[in-house]
Amino acid sequence: MRLALSFGGLAALFALPFWLIPAIDPEGSGFWQHIFVTIFVFAAMACAWNILGGFAGQLSLGQTIFYGIGGYAGAMLNQHFGLIPWLGGIAGAAVSVAIAVAIAWPCLRLRGPFFTLSTIAFLEVIRLLAIHFKDFTGGSAGLPVPMFVGTEMRIGWAWMLFRDKENYLIIAFGLLVVCLAASWAVRNSRLGFYLVAVREREDAARAVGVNATAVKLAAFAISAGLTSLVGTFHGIYLNFIDPETMFSLPTAIQVAMFALIGGLGTVTGPIWGTLLVVPIAEAARGWLGAAANGLHGLVYGLVLVAVVLTMPKGLVGSIGPWLKRRLGGAAEADTAARIEAPEAAAPGEERPPVGEPLLEARNLTKRFGGLVATNDVSVTLREGEVLGVIGPNGAGKTTLFNLLSGFLAPSAGGVKVRLPDGSWVSPGSPHGFAAAGVARTFQIVQPFTGLSVRENIMLGAFHGTRSAVEARRIAEEVAATVGLTGLLDAEARSLTVGGAKRLEVARALAMKPRVLLLDEVMAGLNPADVQQAVELIKRVRDSGVSVIAIEHVMAAVMALSDHIVVINSGKLIAEGPPSEIARNPAVIEAYLGEEYAHAAA
Amino acid sequence: MLRLEGLRAGYGPVTVLQDVSLEVNAGEVVTIVGGNGAGKTTTLRAICGLLRPTGGRITVDGRDTAGLSPPAIVDLGITMVPEGRQLFPFMTVRENLMLGAYKPAARARIDERMEEVLALFPRVRERLSQMAGSLSGGEQQMVAIARGMMANPRLLMFDEPSLGLAPLIVKQVFEIVDRVVASGTTVLIVEQNIVHTLQIATRGYVLENGQVVMSDTGPALLKDPHVKRAYLGV
Amino acid sequence: MDILLQLIANGVLLGGVFALISIGLTLIFGIVRVVNFAHGELLMVGLYATWIMATQFGLHPYVAALPLAVAFFFLGALMQRAIIQPLMNADPHIQIFATVGVGTALANAALMIFSADLRSVDLPWARQATDLFGLASVSRGNLVAFAVSFVATGALIAFLNRTHLGRAIRAVAQNRYAAPLMGIDVNRIYAITFGIGAGCVGLAAAVLAPLYPAFPTVGSFFVLTAFVVVVLGGMGSLEGAVVGALIIGLVESLAGYYVAPDLKEVVYFVIFLGILIVRPAGLFGVRGNE
Repeated sequence: MRLALSFGGLAALFALPFWLIPAIDPEGSGFWQHIFVTIFVFAAMACAWNILGGFAGQLSLGQTIFYGIGGYAGAMLNQHFGLIPWLGGIAGAAVSVAIAVAIAWPCLRLRGPFFTLSTIAFLEVIRLLAIHFKDFTGGSAGLPVPMFVGTEMRIGWAWMLFRDKENYLIIAFGLLVVCLAASWAVRNSRLGFYLVAVREREDAARAVGVNATAVKLAAFAISAGLTSLVGTFHGIYLNFIDPETMFSLPTAIQVAMFALIGGLGTVTGPIWGTLLVVPIAEAARGWLGAAANGLHGLVYGLVLVAVVLTMPKGLVGSIGPWLKRRLGGAAEADTAARIEAPEAAAPGEERPPVGEPLLEARNLTKRFGGLVATNDVSVTLREGEVLGVIGPNGAGKTTLFNLLSGFLAPSAGGVKVRLPDGSWVSPGSPHGFAAAGVARTFQIVQPFTGLSVRENIMLGAFHGTRSAVEARRIAEEVAATVGLTGLLDAEARSLTVGGAKRLEVARALAMKPRVLLLDEVMAGLNPADVQQAVELIKRVRDSGVSVIAIEHVMAAVMALSDHIVVINSGKLIAEGPPSEIARNPAVIEAYLGEEYAHAAA
Repeated sequence: MLRLEGLRAGYGPVTVLQDVSLEVNAGEVVTIVGGNGAGKTTTLRAICGLLRPTGGRITVDGRDTAGLSPPAIVDLGITMVPEGRQLFPFMTVRENLMLGAYKPAARARIDERMEEVLALFPRVRERLSQMAGSLSGGEQQMVAIARGMMANPRLLMFDEPSLGLAPLIVKQVFEIVDRVVASGTTVLIVEQNIVHTLQIATRGYVLENGQVVMSDTGPALLKDPHVKRAYLGV
Repeated sequence: MDILLQLIANGVLLGGVFALISIGLTLIFGIVRVVNFAHGELLMVGLYATWIMATQFGLHPYVAALPLAVAFFFLGALMQRAIIQPLMNADPHIQIFATVGVGTALANAALMIFSADLRSVDLPWARQATDLFGLASVSRGNLVAFAVSFVATGALIAFLNRTHLGRAIRAVAQNRYAAPLMGIDVNRIYAITFGIGAGCVGLAAAVLAPLYPAFPTVGSFFVLTAFVVVVLGGMGSLEGAVVGALIIGLVESLAGYYVAPDLKEVVYFVIFLGILIVRPAGLFGVRGNE
């Protein structure tokens, strides 16, 4: 049904110029053909941009780098080697992908406006270089697209040059279909889920095993390749290319703006945005002519500000939910009430015995400038045990966790994990640790707030499967374990702290880890909830997962842990079974306080 | 002094407070007890003006505070020590304290007030010229409370002062809360560690699912079987 | 005179120009946490305003500086209230788009009103060269710009550190959530800060008008340099902006001579990218700002 609707919509869009133009422009001035080619070209570029800017949330204002490379590749290969633009375009796309990877590698380390600035800077550099090396590019004088070479007339389908403008419409539309299809495929794949996860919360995405750099790089490369193809065609269509028009910042802004107006991160939004804005601006330019130099830019600027202020989610993002509400969606009810007790442990189940070491950290040291946050700490986690980590605030417990999960690289020492086949590995990144079977939660909960509870857990499940159906099944199973079944369809942002803490654990469990790192999952919970959390962790342990838990809730630590390590000022000051730790004088002085010692005695 | 009547409030589509009525009289120590997500912090945020109630009334000395911004609430003599300390990390402790007395009324006698507050918290005096962000968690909590006292508030509200602190530090923080109470400041406190707060509270309210389900003196609540079962796990 | 000394003198004075343009940008980012992509267009508006005041009312550009700075304070505060304030809690993307939209609209409005012609304020005094201790020869206008940028930066730093309002402004930057609990009206602070940042642009426009002509895209010409300066110095750091501006001024001056005139921007963009990648917080920045 939705598919039929989509195909119907596309067919209608394609038919529109062929039906509309003869009606409004019987003399065939070509003005309206030009407008529709422009719409298709910009819609295609906006779709391509949206893969990076919308799905991945990386607001690049330098995408015309690839539009320009595509244009120059098509024209230069044609001029120098007589290559047809179809092949030139593919070569240009290959170059664009390579350059995208080279550019993205440094740029993607930056966030928010800084990423945007760096893409603008690259665009400027490339434009200036294109002007400077005039022997190759023709410099600022530009490069005409050759129509005649000697006596050979390079015209027709092979050369993408036509006397009949309708053929341009067909190619432009074809490019739009390609970009749209690519965008749809990305959104519905695991890559699409990962991109959204990275956009929402990069750290949490890395914790579920997403290689954040790799997925953003993939989005950057796909977007660049598609943009380049469009650039090749558009360069030939315009008949002339020069650095100012090909590597243009205003064009890059326009493309991004169309996607925003239509709806960032929606598949069809970029098309709607282009369809709305291009005709208004082009028509204004056509009617008022040169007298209105700057008018279309003014219109773009004002529309952009208006859209941002009134509907920042764009046409599709604002109208879609409104339609859904009109068609009868239930209002969010109280989420706290819908949390259930976690499933009880199956009666009579025996706890598996504590086995061989599974994770070993040796002489871990981490320095931040002059501060030693972790100082020569060695810990061992055995299979099937719960290892408690306690210590005063600021003692370096969370730093230790970051070292044990690859979020920080140690200054000295190392961490190794035993794989099911018995071999040991020392991963160097969060996704490396995830691959080795280590999952973690965060002290400050990090749900993907724009996604539902189900989708949040699915992101964990994707670690073990590429199939969305399978991920969905795992998510439901895990939700039952932690007592979130009633909230599967709720938005993660509507959860209370207690619910969010459970979601944090659920997402980690969905990765089917062998080692689970829990960072203060009980902080902020009341005693009754703490009791439930203790039961849940026991169940997780009994199902064969080994657990390391940072906790301040002493009753829980004592009840749960098989072994406790105490950290103070970055150093390991004591370790042993709970009963010993409670009596250890150094621990009492640094952490527990006399009162606790008396109470425990 | 402060009175809440049938307060309703929430975040977007989620209603957290269904119907909260409570009052704090001058000189009292009042505590709100409740489970996670029951709406304790939301109640404080609504009183501060950080959150617009969707129903009910908040009055201070009989005056409706509807539509008042957080600065205007501070003007009424109500100050909050927020959860998680929330200091200004790249300023000195002295500057943090000065900001506590930002409103003109407090600023007028800022030097005298600084002396009074430092007399109450001698350990803060030792740290005056240190960057607030470089202090330990416990020291930061002390500065946060001292900063709240700088406004010379008639009502000081604490939001989870012991959250995330090690047991030894929690004990020190409670000593400071006791000192604030002893200085005669009216206090409204929300705290997970209910054993201590109920011992010092003149009165307490139990909040469940955004509704007040019970209220009594602190020690009486501590002995109540429902409170014991639900919040002490015994 | 030694060519190298001359180039250094030119570079340092150019740095003064860049600093003057950059302090408003870095202040706004540091406090309001918004990168104002319309910053260059504000300068463009200021240059046109100075040109109009000079040609229509015969006002000396340096005399126009004060009223222009005051007018720009209100313009900036208004822009913050109308466009930035509603988006304070929105995604950074949306904020970028909003300021990009304002910039695009302003630049094109100028194109419609004034066409693409260059409009210069005629002040021969400012273009005259003066001898600098016999070492180099520099234009008087550049010296004025240099002096104004130092005085303005010093005054801003003193204001932020020594006054109650300044302290409140820094408090808002460091903890948006706690500031209102102190009784600070955060939205008012944002409007004031945006106003001060824009006021700096107004001041800069008046001082630079005798040296640079007004044209619709003059903003993007300066703003990219200002971004480079601000990132180099550390986003939000006023001292950093001055140092960054001096470095970029020197780079532009030396690279224009020793590398190639049309590649001098490439050189400092490469420095910019290098800084972003190696030390994204900049020379004086606080980590976590990026």
